[in-house]
Amino acid sequence: MAAEPESEEMPTSAGEGAGDGASIPDTESIDDEGYVIGSGRAGVVRQIDHDDFDPIGTLVLIAIYMAIVGAMWIFMYFVEFLGGDLTVIG
Amino acid sequence: MEIHRYEKIWLAGALLLIVGFIATISYGAVGAGIEMVDDDGGQIEPNAISDHPKFSEPGTYKTGENEYDVYVVAYQFAFDPGTSDPIRVPANSEVTFHITSRDVVHGFEIVGTNANTMAIPGQVATITVEFGEPTEYGLLCHEYCGSAHHAMEGSIQVVPQSQWNESMVVN
Amino acid sequence: MATFVDRYPDEAKVVQASFAVAFIALGIGAFFGLIQALHRTNILRVIDSVDYYTLLTAHGVLLALVFTIFFLVGVFTWAIAKGFERPLPDIRLTWAWFGLMTTGTVLTAVAILAGLVPEIPMSADVLYTFYAPLEAHPAFYIGLAMFIVGTWMAGADWFLAYRDWRGDNPDERIPLQPFMVLTTMIMWYVSTLGVAVAVVFFLIPWSLGLIETVNPLLTRTLFWYFGHPVVYFWLMPAYLLWYTVLPKLAGGRLFSDPLARVVFVLFVLLSTPVGIHHQYVDPGIAEGFKFIAMTNTMFLLLPSLLTAFTVVASVEHGARQRGGEGYLSWLGALPWRDPAFAGMALAGLMFAAGGFSGMVNAGMNINYLVHNTLWVPGHFHMTVGTAVALTMMAGTYWLLPQITGKTVYSRPIGLFQVVLWFIGMVFMSNAMHRGGLLGIPRRTAEPQYQNFDFAAAVGSVGEIRMQIAFGGLLLFLSVVFFLFNVAATWAEDRVDTPVDDTIPAPLSPPSGAPLILDNLALWTGIAVVLVVLAYTLPLASIVTDSGLLGSSPGFPVAISLEALAEAAASALPHVSLDAAAGLRPLDVAAEAAETLEVSR
Repeated sequence: MAAEPESEEMPTSAGEGAGDGASIPDTESIDDEGYVIGSGRAGVVRQIDHDDFDPIGTLVLIAIYMAIVGAMWIFMYFVEFLGGDLTVIG
Repeated sequence: MEIHRYEKIWLAGALLLIVGFIATISYGAVGAGIEMVDDDGGQIEPNAISDHPKFSEPGTYKTGENEYDVYVVAYQFAFDPGTSDPIRVPANSEVTFHITSRDVVHGFEIVGTNANTMAIPGQVATITVEFGEPTEYGLLCHEYCGSAHHAMEGSIQVVPQSQWNESMVVN
Repeated sequence: MATFVDRYPDEAKVVQASFAVAFIALGIGAFFGLIQALHRTNILRVIDSVDYYTLLTAHGVLLALVFTIFFLVGVFTWAIAKGFERPLPDIRLTWAWFGLMTTGTVLTAVAILAGLVPEIPMSADVLYTFYAPLEAHPAFYIGLAMFIVGTWMAGADWFLAYRDWRGDNPDERIPLQPFMVLTTMIMWYVSTLGVAVAVVFFLIPWSLGLIETVNPLLTRTLFWYFGHPVVYFWLMPAYLLWYTVLPKLAGGRLFSDPLARVVFVLFVLLSTPVGIHHQYVDPGIAEGFKFIAMTNTMFLLLPSLLTAFTVVASVEHGARQRGGEGYLSWLGALPWRDPAFAGMALAGLMFAAGGFSGMVNAGMNINYLVHNTLWVPGHFHMTVGTAVALTMMAGTYWLLPQITGKTVYSRPIGLFQVVLWFIGMVFMSNAMHRGGLLGIPRRTAEPQYQNFDFAAAVGSVGEIRMQIAFGGLLLFLSVVFFLFNVAATWAEDRVDTPVDDTIPAPLSPPSGAPLILDNLALWTGIAVVLVVLAYTLPLASIVTDSGLLGSSPGFPVAISLEALAEAAASALPHVSLDAAAGLRPLDVAAEAAETLEVSR
């Protein structure tokens, strides 16, 4: 399915040049999307606006990361470091 | 400024993480009693180390009951003592290392331990550690100091109290 | 369809030239890296250990300074012209800074590489940190100074472009990409002051013999005043690409423009007053100053942690728009076959891991565990060596078509190459971290010692060495494929639309950002105040203790043969001289020792 008209893409601060609205590669010519560099938006099947988007997947990923970092920190500090030989006490 | 509520959650989590890190380090300093190398060692003229009362004759000095000072001079590419002769300290003692360099920047690492500091010309690094049972440690320079840096190594012998004798101390 | 090279042909030439220098440095630096990985693990030694340090200096300077910063000036030039939608004010100024940076680079590189040729009385085996009183040839320091001044001129060029744009657009928000460029350059001006003072006032006169001595702790502290912000200077072009390009590559839009601005402002404020965290175990600096540096460093995690959320959310937006569902299965909906996307995403993933080892590095007393061990290069090969370098390589696949008008030669080679880099780094960096915990030192040609062995609780030292060497080999191959792909792209013919270069609008637009975020003068002022607070007292005490000029004359990296022999003989008290002669790097010294022994 081709990208819908990208009406909400006003020229903005992100720095695109003028008149680029139509420079998306012709999706008809892309046999299987993903085989052209920078064509990620050719695979868009739905437009999700600001108010419809809750990054729940990001929250999940970041929670996993925080758990790993917390556990690794405790291991590094209390096992590897404080459990090591010759603590400097002065 | 509008911030998504998930990002607010993460912001709080991130701050918690940061405060947790600082709290852990503070616990290490206050609770576990770990002290950083600092400016307590004072300064020394790198070209006049031979005038210093202790560094002129580096080695192990007895300072109290089970307390010792070890003066070490680092230079390209050896520790004195440490390289030609091992550093000797008695078992179950509290030892303060005083380390300086007479030429370039060196490192001082008792291998596989947390005793790890820099030897900077003009500065004296002091670190105090407690040695336990008799053993032998490796010693290496961990700061690049010139073309034979990799040959700069030595050893520390923790000698059993029964074998400890006067010849092993300078004073 | 016109792309960057059609709209700004003059600027495109400068970007091309900058990228060309960056990629040449990448190729040479990566080759030296391979030699080192094989040498220090004792897998294959094709050079003398004395030359190891020459190659290590070149590896550090060419990759950490030349590759990263030349790529940066290329990307920033692109971002300024594209973001302000106008050519640079005077292309002669642009070429002038490019010329100065390149001349400085060549001078420094010659001074370093001359160390490989004994006939040339020139060497600079002082590593990328050039700690005095190890002394390099003056050309090394002079080249570095020219390079830094070149970057200052580049910044001036971009600020002039900003002034022109502001004249025509008095009420508009600064576009996001130029905002990132300008804030990064403010940080750079504040932080390079330290290294400039160290090099221009102390090291150049000292290496020329105009002053006799230096204060090693002072020049070292001034280096680290610059030495930490420089890592953010490497990182900011990667952040620029993650914030403004990666969401588009993922098929989404930037989650929040205002938060991106907040992050860059935080970097301006906090990047510099943290450098003392590289000196946690230095004598001559009070513990209180180290603690202040640590709290600043820990809070400097905040902008990176916020970036993790904003960038991942933007990528998730792309995945959802591409039909992704679920808590985690949306990850499968991303365009993983695009090397530009895959490379940047893998770089970000590696940065999450490198971020953790960085948190350990930031912890003041835990530094006793890792300081100057192999853990540290393990860390920065994940950060600058992957988060930055891999993002730059991946970004090249999307940028190069815009600045040359040519399509990338091979997407599959690109994809293979970025994945190969990631895998190689997993091997090498993980093993380096583990080796560091055993106490294996960094920056050492032969970390195999006579007096002791390193003890591994899990695995073995041999296995760690194999992983480092294998990882290093994969990384080098990845660079070879990258450079081939780039060269082949450059050799192609121009086409009308080499790549889709549009960048969609952010979900949360800049209009939501408080106006104060764009007040660059305010943030500069606060940054300067924070630096003054963090550094005045430590620097004052260092100068009071040992004097402005200290008392250290210069020392060469190699000392007299006799002294080397003494070192070799004393380092091997229990080993016969025959065995010592078998140690290649010291064979000269050992032979000399033998002669001395005989003559006694």
